[in-house]
Amino acid sequence: MIYAVMGPLIATFFIPFLDKWKHRIHTGWFLLPIPFIIFIYFLQFISTELTPVRETYPWIPSLNIHFDLYLDGLSLLFALLISGIGTLVLLYSIYYLDRSEKLGHFYIYLMLFMSAMLGVVLSDNVFVLYTFWEFTSLSSFLLIGYWHHRERSRYGALKSMLITVFGGLSLLGGIILLSMTAETASIRAMIEHKEMIINSPYFPLILVFLFLGAFTKSAQFPFHIWLPDAMEAPTPVSAYLHSATMVKAGIYLIARFSPILAGEPAFFMVVSGIGIITLCWGSFMAVRQTDLKGILAFSTISQLGMIMTMLGFGTKAAVFAAVFHILNHATFKGSLFMVAGIVDHETGTRDIRKLGGLMALMPVSTTLAIFGTFSMAGVPLPFLNGFYSKEMFFDSSLDIGGFGLPFLDALAAAIPYLAVLGSIFTFVYSMYFFFGTFRGRLNINELPKKPHEAPWGMLASPVLLIGGVILIGLFPNVVNEPLLAQTAKAIYGDAIHKHIAFWHGLNTPFYMSMAVVGAGALLAFTRHKWSRVYDLFPEKWSLNRVYDQTVEGIYQFSESVTRGYMNGSLRRYVRLILLAMIAVSFTFLWVTDGFSISNADVSPISLTEVMVAVTMAAAAFGTIYTSNRIAAILILGVVGYGLSILFVIYRAPDLALTQLIVETVTVALFLLAFYHLPELRKIDDHKQERGINVIIAGLFGLLMTAVGISAHSSKWFEPISSYFVETSYTLGGGKNIVNVILVDMRGLDTLFEITVLGIAALAIYGLIKNRRTRE
Amino acid sequence: MISNLAVLPIVIPLLSGILAAFFHKKLPLVRFFSKFMAVLNLLASLWIGLYVLENGSVILETGDWKAPYGIILVADQLSIFLVITTNIIAAFSVFYAQSVLNEQKEKYYFYSFFFLLISGVSGAFLTGDLFNLFVFYEVFLMASYGLIILGGEKIQLRESFKYVILNLFSSMLFVTTVAFLYSVVGTVNMAQIAERVQEADQGGILTTIGILLFFVFASKGAIFPLYYWMPKSYIVPNPVVSTLLGALLTKVGIYSILRVFSLIFIHEPMIQQLFLWLAALSMVFGVIGALSTYNVKLIIVYNIIPAVGFMLMGIGLLSETGIAGAVYYLIHDMIIKAALFMLIGSLVYAAGTSDLRKMGGIIHRYPYLGWTFFIASLVLAGIPPFSGFIGKLLLLQAGFEKDQVLLVIIGLVSSLLILLSMIRIFIYGFWGEEPDSKNVPNKKSPSLWPAMSLVLISVILGAGAEWIYPHIEDISEMLVNRDIYINSVLKE
Amino acid sequence: MEILMSILAGILFATGIYNLLQKQILRIVIGTGLISHGAHLFILTMGKLKRGAPPILTEGAENYTDPLPQALILTSIVISFGVTSFLLALSYRAYVLNETDNMELLRGNEND
Repeated sequence: MIYAVMGPLIATFFIPFLDKWKHRIHTGWFLLPIPFIIFIYFLQFISTELTPVRETYPWIPSLNIHFDLYLDGLSLLFALLISGIGTLVLLYSIYYLDRSEKLGHFYIYLMLFMSAMLGVVLSDNVFVLYTFWEFTSLSSFLLIGYWHHRERSRYGALKSMLITVFGGLSLLGGIILLSMTAETASIRAMIEHKEMIINSPYFPLILVFLFLGAFTKSAQFPFHIWLPDAMEAPTPVSAYLHSATMVKAGIYLIARFSPILAGEPAFFMVVSGIGIITLCWGSFMAVRQTDLKGILAFSTISQLGMIMTMLGFGTKAAVFAAVFHILNHATFKGSLFMVAGIVDHETGTRDIRKLGGLMALMPVSTTLAIFGTFSMAGVPLPFLNGFYSKEMFFDSSLDIGGFGLPFLDALAAAIPYLAVLGSIFTFVYSMYFFFGTFRGRLNINELPKKPHEAPWGMLASPVLLIGGVILIGLFPNVVNEPLLAQTAKAIYGDAIHKHIAFWHGLNTPFYMSMAVVGAGALLAFTRHKWSRVYDLFPEKWSLNRVYDQTVEGIYQFSESVTRGYMNGSLRRYVRLILLAMIAVSFTFLWVTDGFSISNADVSPISLTEVMVAVTMAAAAFGTIYTSNRIAAILILGVVGYGLSILFVIYRAPDLALTQLIVETVTVALFLLAFYHLPELRKIDDHKQERGINVIIAGLFGLLMTAVGISAHSSKWFEPISSYFVETSYTLGGGKNIVNVILVDMRGLDTLFEITVLGIAALAIYGLIKNRRTRE
Repeated sequence: MISNLAVLPIVIPLLSGILAAFFHKKLPLVRFFSKFMAVLNLLASLWIGLYVLENGSVILETGDWKAPYGIILVADQLSIFLVITTNIIAAFSVFYAQSVLNEQKEKYYFYSFFFLLISGVSGAFLTGDLFNLFVFYEVFLMASYGLIILGGEKIQLRESFKYVILNLFSSMLFVTTVAFLYSVVGTVNMAQIAERVQEADQGGILTTIGILLFFVFASKGAIFPLYYWMPKSYIVPNPVVSTLLGALLTKVGIYSILRVFSLIFIHEPMIQQLFLWLAALSMVFGVIGALSTYNVKLIIVYNIIPAVGFMLMGIGLLSETGIAGAVYYLIHDMIIKAALFMLIGSLVYAAGTSDLRKMGGIIHRYPYLGWTFFIASLVLAGIPPFSGFIGKLLLLQAGFEKDQVLLVIIGLVSSLLILLSMIRIFIYGFWGEEPDSKNVPNKKSPSLWPAMSLVLISVILGAGAEWIYPHIEDISEMLVNRDIYINSVLKE
Repeated sequence: MEILMSILAGILFATGIYNLLQKQILRIVIGTGLISHGAHLFILTMGKLKRGAPPILTEGAENYTDPLPQALILTSIVISFGVTSFLLALSYRAYVLNETDNMELLRGNEND
């Protein structure tokens, strides 16, 4: 199985080489066998007695990340869709994409996606699943941005990435919590330890995280907005990623975790609630679109909402219907996208306002579209698979409730009505799509290209898919036991055996279907009369606008905040830094009761010292008031020399000498440098500015004094320096202890102190010399 | 003696730096010499690394003055891993350098400053003595001053003045704080300080001294609210200098916090609480900064801040998982930041501007640059299976373990925004069409392979986490069980 | 006396910072000078003042002043000297190139 997952990924490494021959052989031909072989490989697992298959490879065992592959009914259905539709899409793309395009890039992204998507549905380890999950988002990003010279493509790519990666990260949060509470990273084991998860205090948060992950990926309201913009991708991609597979990853996730989550009232409320809103909103908005792919995008949103709703019910019938619809949707929607691509390819436009009457010119495409759209609309004909699953949906929607919570029961009661409402609009946009494109008047002059029927290679894939629509419609039970029942079992837990039949008698679901067809036909026929309803939803209030404004708002907010404090002013920076230090340090001093003062162990105060100290303090203040640069340097010198006097008094002869020399040289340097700098000016700040400076400087001085006094008053340990006194001569061979410390005991310090001087010298030399060479 | 090994990563670059100064005008020679020595130094540190893995920490008592009296160098797993990472970056930088520096800059002691910077950084990682840490800080800071003004442009001098002033201030605070600490505990040896602080139960003034020390490190580590000096001063120098500063210097600050606040000041939970707050604020303000500008260099520089926030989060959580995450993230971040600074240097070179609004379509001319950058962005944002993910996973897990839900959510959201800030460069800089082709420079373009190799290393660090993670686990175990370090140094 | 010295060092810090908060490069540099003096004074004070003889081994002396802080100060003085000299050269060059010594005018803008 690992070869199936990794195969497409490995193939990407060879694509750049194959791409060199693209003018003789379209790169797609080389790759076509890969998904096909994978498809055949997975086909052999179909059986009425599927025993799950498991493969384990160590990856990062110390972090509990194992490369565990697990194939059960649910994975199998998805794996078949991914490889099967993948094969057809690849075939289609060979005719769709011209050889002048960057085929290499396209196929690398596509293969990357295939691997990632197979990985998502086959991984048992949540972290591996997450890895592949993010890769589906990335490959989708790259494919949407495939024609990146278009502004819209870049916009759509960014949007899809932001929204899906947002979901991905929240999924990450969810799986970390899941793996922590269940103490395992394997989904199998999590299901076994279900109670640990449900009883954990983190359970609500886990739900939120998982839902956000699933809903963003599966384009559920209000995160659906990325999907219409994703239509900028080449049509094979739309057919593959954005209708048949990737957008179903969220569905897969919910289905996969259903054994743990289903049955919780919150699960029903959120999943079905959001699902049904998505169903209605998506189908309603689809009628408004003028772009063929736009209609299909909203249609996909709405159908995903429908599947989500059913998963939320969590009943036997609903789970089965959901599974069935996953399969059916992939067939009819895939083919419709391909037809839309053909129309685009042949006429040069996808704008339904310009299209019409193509039936005469493109008979095969028209036939395909009839089957596709009617199946999507749920027209009750025995050879259309869409009808079966839709009716099962109605059926299951009648059988929920009994939660005992008023709100939930109200929701449960409303769902059948909403289901019908959504389906009516589904019917409308299906008709709108078909009649708008293929019937009506042909305006051949408005079309950029003169249309004719597509080449057979391009038609092959949609023909096969429509073949699937019809065959499943005619013989639904062929796929039932070997595939659907197995899938449903994996989601529901217990085996579900259900016979699929066209005619169930005159029951409520049938009336619901009839209502849909009747009301739908009426509304479709009178569409131009009521379409002004959409003006009630002006662009300004749309969710897209919310997204745009959020992103723009983030930029603007960031800019104004950052501009606000990062204004380049050194003074501002120093102030902010000092304020933070002062505030935090004083707080800690206060809270930990750190201040202490004791005069038990201090040396006596002598007059000379006080005089020196007072002189130094006066000089220090003097630097502020002087406005003569020479005076300023001399005053600074007073502080320095004062310090060396203190060194003398405090029995530090070496220091005194060093300080004396250093101070002298420094003063000389200052004089040299200041000679070239302008005269000091009086401090000319406003009173307020000056006040702030005084407060900050004063507080910081106070802080240092307070900490210094406290530190001095808490000499709790014997300093290590007695050792130096003892060993200075015996081990160090010197009588001047300070010198011995410097050159021996802490010789490393001294070595690098000299290094610092050396570097400073080089840097100064560089500064001065560099100027000379320039001038 | 085998313990002398520990000094090699400090001495080799020190001598190289000094020697390089002597024949700084003989460019072919100095270039060859520098490459040779950088690689040699890398090999030496790898050798020590292997030795440490097999035989445990190498502890050198310099001048044979026994601890805690003399200065000791401690090459434990954490230190030597960071030294190796530093030298990997150094070796690739030196190869990158030649293609982005002009001869003028190379002649004015670039290579000397470079080696002395490495020497100082390695010293800071290896020393076990707080005052000695200050000295090494000064070494690499002084070298960074030399590097940052290389070229002597107007803007460089303006920004480096601010940089020097703020660092000078925090250095003075550093040395004062060491003195305060010495007054209370009577020693400057870190292991002994740890022992004595524990004995005193970190009472009285000790916590406040710890906070001051934190501020010193935090201002080097660019943690909120002390990073103001960083953004501008990191974008003005040459790309290779930005690479060294961005990848190495801030991380020394983080390392110091990690060492000091997992070893010494751990007895007051308020400090950890403060760290978590500052971690969150660093993430928030960091990404806000990264999204605030169209200057691609600034975007990368601002991205240092949230990364630092992530590491601080791990340190603040102070659990084995948290520390492991912080260490993993630290190593990952050093490498990927180095790669990104190189890539951005090349991008600015290719586009002729650092303003994102004036760029576009670079990928047509520089496809390898584009894709390397794309992968590097994913690495930075923590997309699995790259290296950023492993660190982040550990950190988030540690966050949940300590019930810091809000912090985890901030971490997740900031990851998304980091990705946004990076992808923005990719979409608007690399995708699309070039605005006009007249400002296309036709000089030699910066070499790409050093950055590509670094990105490759990041990928290996992530996908091959199994090779590295057990060691990281050891490191975090050693950091959490402080007695291992204390006993190995004081030999009690 | 130690308490008094701590206050003096605090004053040196405070005046240093006040100078650091000024606009003129010259004053800022003076500020750094004052701060480093303050720091050194703190180190000295932390090692107990005037307790015993200067740390030079002499016959008959029992107690010596703590030699370690003195060694640390020496290292620090030299380092500060190096940095200060560099800072002076830098200020000079920054002034010449930017044609102003007012840091508030040297904020820079977004696009450089």
